[in-house]
Amino acid sequence: MEQISPYLQFRNVTKFFGDVPVVQEPFNLSIPAGQFTVFLGPSGCGKTTLMRMIGGLDTPTSGEILLQGRPVGEPDIRRGMVFQSYSSFPWLTVRKNIEFGMRFRKDLSFGQKKDRAEHFLKLVGLGDFATSYPSRISGGMRQRVAIARTLAADPDVLLMDEPFGALDANLREDLQFELRKIQKNSGKTTIFVTHDVEEAVFLADRIIVFGSRPAHVIADIDVTSLIGAERNETVRDSERFFHLRTEILHRLRGRQVKAVAA
Amino acid sequence: MTAVASSSRKGSGGLFRFRASIPQSATLLAAVTGAAAFLGGWQLLVSLHVVAPVFLPTPLKVAQTFIRMCTDGSMLPNTVVSVRRVWLAFLLSALLAVPLGILMSGYRIIGATLEPMIDFIRYLPVPALVPLAIIWFGVGESTKIFLLWLGTFFQLVLMIAADMKRIPNEYFETAYTLGARPRETLLPVALPAMLPQLMDSMRISLGWCWTYVIIAEIVASDSGLGFVIWTARRFMKTDQVMAGVIMIGLIGLVTDQCLRLLHRKLFRYQ
Ligand SMILES: Nc1ncnc2c1ncn2[C@@H]1O[C@H](COP(=O)(O)OP(=O)(O)OP(=O)(O)O)[C@@H](O)[C@H]1O
Ligand SMILES: [Mg+2]
Repeated sequence: MEQISPYLQFRNVTKFFGDVPVVQEPFNLSIPAGQFTVFLGPSGCGKTTLMRMIGGLDTPTSGEILLQGRPVGEPDIRRGMVFQSYSSFPWLTVRKNIEFGMRFRKDLSFGQKKDRAEHFLKLVGLGDFATSYPSRISGGMRQRVAIARTLAADPDVLLMDEPFGALDANLREDLQFELRKIQKNSGKTTIFVTHDVEEAVFLADRIIVFGSRPAHVIADIDVTSLIGAERNETVRDSERFFHLRTEILHRLRGRQVKAVAA
Repeated sequence: MTAVASSSRKGSGGLFRFRASIPQSATLLAAVTGAAAFLGGWQLLVSLHVVAPVFLPTPLKVAQTFIRMCTDGSMLPNTVVSVRRVWLAFLLSALLAVPLGILMSGYRIIGATLEPMIDFIRYLPVPALVPLAIIWFGVGESTKIFLLWLGTFFQLVLMIAADMKRIPNEYFETAYTLGARPRETLLPVALPAMLPQLMDSMRISLGWCWTYVIIAEIVASDSGLGFVIWTARRFMKTDQVMAGVIMIGLIGLVTDQCLRLLHRKLFRYQ
């Protein structure tokens, strides 16, 4: 099928909180279906705000965000979001949390919801913890609960705001591997926010590198063409990976040095 | 040497160590000792004629009176009356306050409309409203319920609105991106998220109900525990006054402990 308009599109988007500019220069970005896009940038540059606008949780001050050619509007089930904190509901067990993802879907029967919950419970490796409460499992497991819940809802776009921010390095790498695999298998268009360069390179098909606030794009990197689509520990340790990582770090730093000088 | 020193740090040597925990047995012993010293001191005050028994009967006398009143039918029916008033007024308060508090914090415009008014009313002292209550409702049962309700409802509404406000936005936003419309989050998200705090707020306001029921029964009643202690006062039956007060304290203690237990059982997930 011929792609007439891009799947997800920012068109001349600006965003001010009162007088405070978060996105001042009209922001434009086109994201094709199925792409794993990472927003990378220093703290406070506006990554979360851009993502929240896709989700409909914030609205642009001017310009528009289009999903399949139509303005995104209020939040709905087409754009699932995984938050960094308070990601799972503490009063529900792991299984109930995942089932909650389908609570507002009227097209599924009770049995179908149970089956799907079971499927995603296994997919994120939490089968043994189905009846545990979030307070009794680790932070990494809680993030997996949130991811499974969002996947169970079956959104068209997956939005993830630093979901692995609070985790230790090892766990983080494992989850990155799992997430990349799940994303490729499901083919869901994914936007992932992070300020960790290595995480960005490992996960992304494409990285949008932002400079400090107001948000502006420093670089738009086609990661797949540079290091391939396959991601595993060998790739993580490879020369190409290291080079790309270093280059992005330099760019981020270069901008910051300039900003200080000015 | 060091082994001894470190073991005594954890062991019995450190009962007066600042902010350190003490063994369970010591906790129990301390509680019993404290109570015994209190009762002993009280008994001594009377035995040594420091205070006349008519003003301060001995603890034993109070205990005897308490038991007698519990068996001769002068205490229990009045206790039932007071408990009934407290719970009726409390439930009425809670039933209205919970939805209204949630609405006030869910919809800013409702909050903005009601909050200043409620903030004013809740500072009106209940005793000052007794005359008004009697003018409106006479001296019947409804007067007491109205006074208790007045004393708790406005406080409770604001506490519940605050409980709702404390819910992290992420919970709601997660639900929105799973397809919920805002009002569809009230039952499955807002209520369970705030329930532990909500129960605490209700427990606190139940305590206030007990304060107000005694006031209401003293000024406008011929039944209830407040009536019992006020009548006893008129005949200088200090032992009966104290027995009544002890009953009120016991009910408060038992209710509070039951609610705390329920809280622990219900919110085991925390
Ligand atoms: N609701 C709001 N009201 C006012 N200012 C806001 C609001 N939300 C965000 N901001 C400001 O907008 C800027 C961008 O915030 P944003 O959360 O999008 O940054 P970020 O890139 O996600 O940062 P981080 O990596 O720290 O999460 C920050 O300076 C922040 O203080
Ligand atoms: Mg952020």
